Amino acid sequence: MPSDLVIIVIYLALMFIAGLFFSKNIKSTADYFLAARSAPWFWIMGAVWATNIGFLHGYLAHGGAAYEWGLIQANFEWFQGPFAYILTGLFFIAFYWRAGIYTVPQFLERRYGPAIRLIYSIAWIFIFLVTIAAELYLGGMFLKNITGLPFWGTVLVLTGVVGTYTLLGGLGAAIMMEFVQFVIMMVGTIPLVFILLNIVKGFDGLKDTLINQWNVSPQYFSVLPDIHHPYGPGPWVILALCFVVSIGWCAGHQSMVQRNLGARSLYDAKLGYVVASVPKTLGAFLYIIPMLAAPIIFAQRGIFVEKADAAYGKLILNLLPSGMLGLFIAGLVSAGLSSIGSVLNSTSTIVVKDIYERFLVKGKSDHHYFISGRVATFLIILASLLLVPVVTKVHLIMWLEQTILAMLLGPFTAILMLGIFWRRTNTPGSLIGFLTGGAFALLMVIKINVFFLIGWWSFVVTMVVTVIATLLTKPPKNEKVEGLTWESDFHAKVGFIAEARAANNGTHVTQMPDIKVALPPWYLNLKYWATVILLVQIALLLFFG
Amino acid sequence: MNVRKYKFLFIVAAFLILAHSLSAQEKFIDVRQEMADNLTEVKKNASVDDWASALENFNKAKNIWNTEVITLLNEDQQTKKRFSEYFERMNSVQADIDSLALLITQKKTDQIESKVNQIIWGISHHPQGFDVPDAVYTVWDWVFGLGIGLGFCVFITCFGLYLRRSYYRRYAKQEN
Repeated sequence: MPSDLVIIVIYLALMFIAGLFFSKNIKSTADYFLAARSAPWFWIMGAVWATNIGFLHGYLAHGGAAYEWGLIQANFEWFQGPFAYILTGLFFIAFYWRAGIYTVPQFLERRYGPAIRLIYSIAWIFIFLVTIAAELYLGGMFLKNITGLPFWGTVLVLTGVVGTYTLLGGLGAAIMMEFVQFVIMMVGTIPLVFILLNIVKGFDGLKDTLINQWNVSPQYFSVLPDIHHPYGPGPWVILALCFVVSIGWCAGHQSMVQRNLGARSLYDAKLGYVVASVPKTLGAFLYIIPMLAAPIIFAQRGIFVEKADAAYGKLILNLLPSGMLGLFIAGLVSAGLSSIGSVLNSTSTIVVKDIYERFLVKGKSDHHYFISGRVATFLIILASLLLVPVVTKVHLIMWLEQTILAMLLGPFTAILMLGIFWRRTNTPGSLIGFLTGGAFALLMVIKINVFFLIGWWSFVVTMVVTVIATLLTKPPKNEKVEGLTWESDFHAKVGFIAEARAANNGTHVTQMPDIKVALPPWYLNLKYWATVILLVQIALLLFFG
Repeated sequence: MNVRKYKFLFIVAAFLILAHSLSAQEKFIDVRQEMADNLTEVKKNASVDDWASALENFNKAKNIWNTEVITLLNEDQQTKKRFSEYFERMNSVQADIDSLALLITQKKTDQIESKVNQIIWGISHHPQGFDVPDAVYTVWDWVFGLGIGLGFCVFITCFGLYLRRSYYRRYAKQEN
């Protein structure tokens, strides 16, 4: 155990020093919030995945949920996640990237006006504060169980390390640190699944023990369980969620989008997102499948588990040998730090860009907003620490997180899709639809509280209300939606159309320009990657469905 | 003296104290953890034939079970839904505790470990997914599911064709 502690302390110190090193060239808001638009695709890939996977949305909370509900939890890693990564990479990122924006709310304002921007920004700030608090709580509880240090001591150490490099270095430091952490995470945590499956005699042995000897329902091992399953209302909604909450997450979550906005080119942004679906798929082997075997280990070895969220930490503490445990914890802490860092950076971006600069203090110098970003980061850390005691009272944190997200992402995905794919969508329609969908989601939380249902039906209600309200009101002016809709994306894709149109005094260009496009090598072709990954998802569905 | 600085430190200290008191672990978790720790000690004591310590640790665990865990379960299982799983297992845990007492007095080392593990698992949180009934599909489920699935595929195809058509209507293909 002392050797493990040494590894952890060295790791945290290195992260702290590396963060300071990466932050030394940060001088403007573009550096701070968009990493000077310099990140290549593999950094984006690592950063996107490391942002997505942390204590909360990964190892501890989703691992805990897998312990609680079984393989159904792998839906996030095998279907919703990769599918949404690919769709977002192929279709949505281009709109943000070409618009030259800092935040998703900025895009919403250009398409729909300032009201939606403000509502959306405030909603995300609230979600991010809860997210950071939950990450700190899970990380603090995990380190407390592992090291025996007091809970608040571990929380403050985590906050100190991640807060320092995010506060000083902004997105640039965060992306570089996330890539390093992505590698450590992969190397450090992959051995667990092999060790566990060896103990329980493979996946078949695991199923045999639980189903035949423990009389557990076979649905514990089904990734698409029965339509009446209490966790979710069945396969059709789970599949439908590939098109709602996960797309909302990938295309609307500021942390996820911001990584791509820091790319050195649109191609890097797209490829980074699409390829990130590979480690996303592997995530199920890091923290979902091991947790299916966890009950057997706990029962056989007499390990006390107080709640599902603590199960992952208890498992590795009692299973891994000294030395490997330290490396594993370093990997796990990497996951947590990267997620906290990215959310912290994104929250400060929204606070400064979408609230402070847009509505409160306009027209100041770039340096003023750059300093404001750092102050905002510090205040967000404090506010999140205040929320930690509240999230400790939650039974299953994953459920809380998904419920809050579903409430926002259902309505958001609806207006985003309509805004991009239907030029007719206008401001009054989207605003009425968004607010109605949000109110409907709130009612569903009170009445039903199943996040799959909340996301799906609030999406449907928002779609229907927005379409009706849009048709009853005036269409938007052409110049307002120019460059912000799918049809317009074709212009940019073939290039020169817009310029040619401008040269013709705004008249339509009827001839397709002859353009020579330099294709990337086959192994960096987006379509190949997307096809292979989707085939893997289908294979997983057939095997585990 | 920099008063503002001390004010700030005071606020941070007050915040930390408040947060610490708010974040105190739930009592129901703490008492079960303590019981599990004592039972783990019983295993260790029995493996080295230290039967006096084993009995002492067992009595500590049994005392926590009788005075704390059972009391909390009887008080709270009506109001807190998540307590019901432990309430349902109360009798079997009680039987295992009685059985363990016998094994310790009989000094049956080989059976003590598995019995202790059984008790600890009994007071641990079990997955809710274990109790889900087997899958049942009705005709309506299939109709609804296939309707949405096929409907979506038709929608995507039509929408894709519409986008393609509207694009080429505006920008005609270049003839070579």
